[in-house]
Amino acid sequence: MIKNEKEIKGNDFNITRSAEELRKLSFNDHVCIGCGICESTCPVEAISLDAIANIERNYTGTYFSGHEKITQNNVLETNKAGNKTKLTINEDKCVLCGMCSGLCPASALTLTIDNEPIKNIDAYPSYIAYAECNDDECIYCGKCEIACPRDAITVKRNLPERAKLVTGEITPDKDTCIYCGVCEEMCPADAIDVTKAIGEEDIVIDTDKCVYCLVCKKACPVEAITAVCRLCPYGEYDLDEADAEITGTTIISEDDCISCGWCEGVCPTDAMTVKKPFEGTLVTDPEKCGTCGACVDLCPCNALSFPKTKGPGERSVQIVSNDDYCIKCGACARICPNDAIEVSRTGVNHTPTNSESWTDALEALKN
Amino acid sequence: MVNNMPKHISSGLKYIAAVELKSKGLSHKEIADELDLDRSTVSHYLNGRNLTWDSIDVANTIVNMCPKDFLSMMQVLFKDIDKIRTMTLILKSEEYKTIVSKSCIGCGLCVDLCVMKAIKLDSLKAKIEADLCCGCLICEEECPTRSIRILEVNK
Repeated sequence: MIKNEKEIKGNDFNITRSAEELRKLSFNDHVCIGCGICESTCPVEAISLDAIANIERNYTGTYFSGHEKITQNNVLETNKAGNKTKLTINEDKCVLCGMCSGLCPASALTLTIDNEPIKNIDAYPSYIAYAECNDDECIYCGKCEIACPRDAITVKRNLPERAKLVTGEITPDKDTCIYCGVCEEMCPADAIDVTKAIGEEDIVIDTDKCVYCLVCKKACPVEAITAVCRLCPYGEYDLDEADAEITGTTIISEDDCISCGWCEGVCPTDAMTVKKPFEGTLVTDPEKCGTCGACVDLCPCNALSFPKTKGPGERSVQIVSNDDYCIKCGACARICPNDAIEVSRTGVNHTPTNSESWTDALEALKN
Repeated sequence: MVNNMPKHISSGLKYIAAVELKSKGLSHKEIADELDLDRSTVSHYLNGRNLTWDSIDVANTIVNMCPKDFLSMMQVLFKDIDKIRTMTLILKSEEYKTIVSKSCIGCGLCVDLCVMKAIKLDSLKAKIEADLCCGCLICEEECPTRSIRILEVNK
């Protein structure tokens, strides 16, 4: 009889079945959002998600949601001290069908068949959810990188050369120069290097750095510097637009992105387009909410907050959900000890499948 | 003698297979090719020589076993998987009707388990080629969603 093999690496693990084809299910703890969809979807009930342990957040960053991250959460402390296991799969029960992989909104579980992830195999349905950056519009400001609650975005910006945006002429007169170093100390662009050592005196002006502000010329006690700025009197007469171009790259990690929409929300040039996996609503019940903050800590989208009310340290006793950034994953409703959050999904955006059982499983995500 | 028993029994099975193929009108050469035997051996078999009738009795008993036990015996007697498939298709003449219900999740466990390689996945659903099915029911028993039914067809 065929037996699955399990390989555990810290909190991550792989389950493999090797026969006619090589099926490998990988769990990546770092990207698991604790929504529990895999647990409720698994047709052989092989998955269990730890309700307490799953609220540890792995991400750090400056959040744009305007709330302070709550750190006094007792459950969080318990988790740090003890149990670290988030998700477990019973390898004797698992049949490597890949439903958990197909329905995981965070790519934390991935089934590969002969090393091909099932999201690349047409027969398998996958979420139509993504964040896309239009390079023609992007100015590489990096706001999305800061806002992304999953650290999924890396922006690299190449600035134009400063010296190319100004023109002028600058020459030190080495016969007049007394190598006192005043110009070097005063230069705001760090463009001048003076060697004061006796017998080795020298002055070098780096025109790639010089912005022709003429501070050195004005400060020189012996008038050894001849300099003229061409920008001011003549305007931008000879500015080549190509020299002023800002280039760069914005890379979105598909594995880490959960299509929450923060990048789209903060982008000043509308370069980002985000499509979310689910449609639906999130309703909080202020009567039931115990303001423990577990949901705020857990929310992978940074969509839940206690808005500040009066002064520092004061916060509202009511959770507020920002629908723009919620993906309706349901992790908050699952963690809430008081059942104060109700997430209902009314739509699931996915590619088509001919399989009735997979269609049923996707339909069952609606509630 | 005891050490040679499995060999005698497999010879018995090949004898039955040769007779079966002969009844279907295959020539001695075709039978020899199909069973991977010498033509002379086939001629001996079909002329009733070189075999003890005891080993043929045992072979007949194996052929009449339920398909799952028959397959287990074949796996012990013939190590080569392709030979097991060829022999099984010749010796077991039952026909089966195969039903895969819509609850199939496409896990592929049956594909991996089927000795006869009769199952493939098509659009996340098991597709069983009834002509290759030997009726062992391993797929039906192991299916995690109980989506497979194998029915013997009365002829």
